[in-house]
Amino acid sequence: MSEEKKQNGWNPKIAAFLCNWCTYTGADLAGVSRLKSSPCVRIIRVMCSGRVDPSFILKAFKKGADGIFIGGCHIGDCHYSEGNYKTLRRIEFLKIFLEDFGIDPKRLRLEWISASEGDKYAATTLDFEKQIRELGPLTFMN
Amino acid sequence: MAYRTYLMVCAGTGCVANQSIKIKDTLIKELEKKGLQDEVAVVTTGCNGFCGVGPIMVVQPDGIFYQLLKSSDIPYLVEEHLIKGRPVKKFMYIPSEKEPPIPKMSDIDFFKKQVLIALRNRGLIDPEKIEEYIARGGYSGLAKALTEMTPDQVINEVKKSGLRGRGGGGFPTGIKWETMKKVPGDVRFVICNADEGDPGAFMDRSIIESDPHAVIEGMLIGAYGMGSTQGYVYIRNEYPIALERLLKAIAQAKEYGLLGENIFGTDFKFDIRIIRGAGAFVCGESTALMASIQGMPGEPRAKYVHTVEKGLFDFPTCLNNVETWANVPQIIQKGAEWFTQIGTGDVTNDPWGGSKGTKVFSLTGKVVNTGLVEVPMGITLREIIYDIGGGIKDGKKIKAVQTGGPSGGFIPESMLDLPVDFDELTKVGSMMGSGGMIIADEDNCIVDMAKYFLNFTQEESCGKCIPCREGTKRMYDILENISVGKGTEEDLELLEDLSYMVVESSLCALGGSAPNPVLTSLKYFKDEYLTHVREKKCPAKACRQLNVYTIDEEICATVGHGCDLCKKSCPDFAIFGETKKAHHIDQMKCHKCGACYDACNFKAIKVE
Amino acid sequence: MERSIRMVTVNIDGKKIEVAEDTTILKAAEAAGIWIPSMCYSDLLEPYGVCRLCSVEVIRGKRSRIVTACNYPVREGLTVNTNSDKVKWIRKILMELMYSRWPNVPVVKEMAERLEVTKPRFVSLERDESENACILCGNCVNICRDVVKASVLSFEGIGIERKVVLPFNEQSETCISCGACAYVCPTGHIKIKSLETERGALQDFYLGPKSAINIPTLQAVPRVPVIDKNSCIKMQTGGCGICSEFCEPGAINYEMKDEEVDIEVGQILVTTGFNLFDPQQIPQYGYGRLDNVYNSLDFEFMLNSTGPTGGTIQCKDGSEPRAVGIIHCVGSRDENYKKYCSRVCCMYALKFAHLVKDRTKAEVYQFYIDMRAFGKGYEEFYKRLLDEGVNMIRGKVAEITEESYNGNKPHLLVKCEDTLIGKFREIPVDMVILCPAIEPAQDAAKIKKILSISQSPDKFFLERHPKLDPISTMTDGIFIAGCAQGPKDIPDSVAQASAAAARILSLISLGEVSVDPIKANVIEEFCSGCRICNNLCPYTAISFLEDKKISDINEMLCKGCGTCVAACPASAITGKGFTDEQILAELEGLLTV
Repeated sequence: MSEEKKQNGWNPKIAAFLCNWCTYTGADLAGVSRLKSSPCVRIIRVMCSGRVDPSFILKAFKKGADGIFIGGCHIGDCHYSEGNYKTLRRIEFLKIFLEDFGIDPKRLRLEWISASEGDKYAATTLDFEKQIRELGPLTFMN
Repeated sequence: MAYRTYLMVCAGTGCVANQSIKIKDTLIKELEKKGLQDEVAVVTTGCNGFCGVGPIMVVQPDGIFYQLLKSSDIPYLVEEHLIKGRPVKKFMYIPSEKEPPIPKMSDIDFFKKQVLIALRNRGLIDPEKIEEYIARGGYSGLAKALTEMTPDQVINEVKKSGLRGRGGGGFPTGIKWETMKKVPGDVRFVICNADEGDPGAFMDRSIIESDPHAVIEGMLIGAYGMGSTQGYVYIRNEYPIALERLLKAIAQAKEYGLLGENIFGTDFKFDIRIIRGAGAFVCGESTALMASIQGMPGEPRAKYVHTVEKGLFDFPTCLNNVETWANVPQIIQKGAEWFTQIGTGDVTNDPWGGSKGTKVFSLTGKVVNTGLVEVPMGITLREIIYDIGGGIKDGKKIKAVQTGGPSGGFIPESMLDLPVDFDELTKVGSMMGSGGMIIADEDNCIVDMAKYFLNFTQEESCGKCIPCREGTKRMYDILENISVGKGTEEDLELLEDLSYMVVESSLCALGGSAPNPVLTSLKYFKDEYLTHVREKKCPAKACRQLNVYTIDEEICATVGHGCDLCKKSCPDFAIFGETKKAHHIDQMKCHKCGACYDACNFKAIKVE
Repeated sequence: MERSIRMVTVNIDGKKIEVAEDTTILKAAEAAGIWIPSMCYSDLLEPYGVCRLCSVEVIRGKRSRIVTACNYPVREGLTVNTNSDKVKWIRKILMELMYSRWPNVPVVKEMAERLEVTKPRFVSLERDESENACILCGNCVNICRDVVKASVLSFEGIGIERKVVLPFNEQSETCISCGACAYVCPTGHIKIKSLETERGALQDFYLGPKSAINIPTLQAVPRVPVIDKNSCIKMQTGGCGICSEFCEPGAINYEMKDEEVDIEVGQILVTTGFNLFDPQQIPQYGYGRLDNVYNSLDFEFMLNSTGPTGGTIQCKDGSEPRAVGIIHCVGSRDENYKKYCSRVCCMYALKFAHLVKDRTKAEVYQFYIDMRAFGKGYEEFYKRLLDEGVNMIRGKVAEITEESYNGNKPHLLVKCEDTLIGKFREIPVDMVILCPAIEPAQDAAKIKKILSISQSPDKFFLERHPKLDPISTMTDGIFIAGCAQGPKDIPDSVAQASAAAARILSLISLGEVSVDPIKANVIEEFCSGCRICNNLCPYTAISFLEDKKISDINEMLCKGCGTCVAACPASAITGKGFTDEQILAELEGLLTV
């Protein structure tokens, strides 16, 4: 089935959890600057990247996401002081589990993008889309 | 145990320095050898006073006086006098070469006119045995005071006696004690000033060496009168024998219950501490002395508030000289009335009205008999110099008498009939001082002597106040210039002006009296100064820089035979001449040190 | 034992005056308006009475006596003549003695003139020609022993050899450097050497130490003196205490200690200011090593009329500089130190240039990278300086060295690049002023931790929004203003502070505040009391309730970041506005299409 999808002009579904203060604003900036970013990225705004519960990521994969992108403030610059440290911990940890679940950890990406880095956001999303395309659609045993 | 004879060997510092202890040891050995140790006692006593003829030994009870002894003389003396009963003539006192020897001490002129109060026990007791002091009536004055008199009566007795400070100030002792008594406060001190800094003065030393208990008893009586329980003796460190005897005396007095608690069974308690000086003349000044005891530098302070009000550690303190304290026991014992019989003036209504009692003088200089004498106040200078002192040595002419040490002044020959007492001497510009008396003859230069005394006070100045520190130094510089021929008549005026200023404005009596020798010498011997500044010559030839030394070549060749002694002694290599031939002095090189003059045995060197 | 003070009448020079018994003649004469000369007297000390210049004649009955006025206590009926011929004669000779020994000391010369002594008749073999000679008045020894109670100085030598010494002629360990001896010395013989800085620092300009009790600056608020514990004699040795004797209201309290006060507040405004970058970190500029290299604060101090030089611009040796170099951007705009621009330096550097031109005849060289004259009237001021002939050199300074040509006194050499003419230049100057970067205050990190506010990458406090909210922090109720937030000059600081104050006042006047609704809260039934969330909160908003054995969130502290929500293993915490359900629903929506 994944092969079919690929051949039938499949577009990856990338769910993105963006932290309100930095990455979300950065994405906004990218848009305002008319920078080309990936259309496959579907954004969910959270106040802080630390809000992202690992269960969301798993549920998202289960619901059909091919890749998950988490964007937060740079380390040391978290709006809420330390939230992104926790995100870092969780995601690193989660990546280990993902493999056990049969999901390629490369499908989960954590980036630090600040509010002024619109270009980085654009570039990162495009790069991620390319990567997911290479990896192909995610197949789960339903 | 009674001995048949007592050999009183003088152990004053002078005689000790001349081996009198060795003489004593030799005596003891010799007596033992001859088996006389149970019959003849050897007693070391304090200074007899006739220091010019020491070592001295007096044989008691005969009163035979032996002088100039050597330990080698002892065996002969023991053999002759003690065994064979023949006093040895060659050891006796001879007034002059032609006269016969005088065996008995009481016949010797030196001793005849002396009246001993402070020194009453000299030569008669062993100062290191309290029993001997007590045996001669010691501590009975204290007993009388403690048991029969009130403190106020004691003070009154001293006041009535007219006793005046023997340290030089001449302040009526009774008044001082009375003033101290009136100052309130439980803590009060009495101090004995045994610092005796005058050069050549040894009165206080002799008193302590001969009779330390006299001082202790005096202090006890005074302390009782003034209500003090602690006394200090400030003694100069240069008196080791005196210090030793004093320490022993205090220890013995304590043993006998005469120092410490409950003296004579009364409530009176008193203790004495000894503080040693460290070699500063200025520490003889009362406030400097007290500063020294307190551990501070010995510098005087203004005495507008007297030490009897605020003295040692800011407590009322009565400071008196050794000789003053030594007089007190006798005054109490024999009564003030007795004391007033001796001396000059009338003190019934005015304590300053006369000088009562005796004074110890150290008679030195160009007299025949030098030593320590105690004479009644009122005796004339002439009597002291000629009757006691035996006149001027070598038949020279007397020029002046210097009394009072560095604080005193010169008295010319014309005033020799002056009675010696506090006020008479002050009237002529000198002062009694602590008792130094130096006789100057025609070979002494007054300018040089004044310079000597000024040098002393200038060097001993503590340096605190400007008049003394700078003033005396400038005075000395002027005198120095005068003595090397650089003085002018303006310098004499300046010297006088400066001297009066230093007297008026100095902080303490050291500075205040330092110019006295200069002022009196200028007053009475102006002509000597004028010769120095006008003719650039010293009449006495003592200021060597003004002398011209020449060699009488005839004498040198014929009598001295060119002996070379002067050439060898000259530090400037200024004498030329071949051995066995007449020598001569190169005046260009000669720095007038006079070494050649001193060296020549043939009187070939002439001085002009 | 108390003695009541008795008043006595004394007769001084014919004037009758009533004074307390035991007053000294000197003081009594002072009260009568009569001057008595003295050289060794000081009001701070017990009279020493060694110069003897104050000698007066005291007449009692028929006898007269010369005494020193400074320490002679008066009694009833005392008659004093302070100017008799005898007294004049004594003073004249005393003065001649002093003058011949110390002919060039100003106080001696003045007194000699006053006492009409022109040529002393003496030649002193101990003559000292120096102007600062010690005249052996003893003031220093006495103050050190009696007032300071340190007993460091003392006299040595007897008689004419007398002199004041330190023990063994070495620096003394017991000396507390109070400067009392230098203060009381009439000739300036004693100087206090500052051991802290050997070269370059302005302490060397002080002729004497600042007193231990002083008003820190003239603009201090409140304008009351403070006591410096380390230089106060009373706090060091227990001596002195003179200030409390002079204080009439008795306001001096040596026992005062720091107090800790707890105040409950609703809002905090942080204005902890800035620090100046230490130019010693750039050793090639020679600050702290070479003479006459100052930083801007040092130079401000020198310019100030209440400063050590009274506003005169002078080199360390007192001479006027012939040329001054002012260097911009020391530490600012620098890859190695601070990357940002410190904003204020260009303008104050131009101000310095103007003042140097105004007060001296020196040439001024301005070494800059860009001239930032952004404010109102700023550019015009810059232009004015160009007209005044200030030399503007665009380029960074590589090094400052000390040179000396032909044996002349050394000067500084500024080695720089002049990018406008494309050459390297070496410019000799007498003085260099560095404009160091403005950096956050030293305790910024500590404040950050205490208040839980953030720092931006340059370590100044982080504002909520750089454009739209520069006065608030992420934490509600904590505001920042001034250089704590970033380098700025006075108009901007005032504006920002006013804005912050206004914001605060508006909140206070509201009474009620509306808060951001995005908050987390704990669902009691689900909470198992594992306390994982307690330590996660950066705002310490989560506490543990012992009685209920559950965690509890303080809604006022919570900022709604959601970290605890994600961490709770029992999903017992909900984040309002971003609940799990909401996010999952979003996911659902996003991914099904």
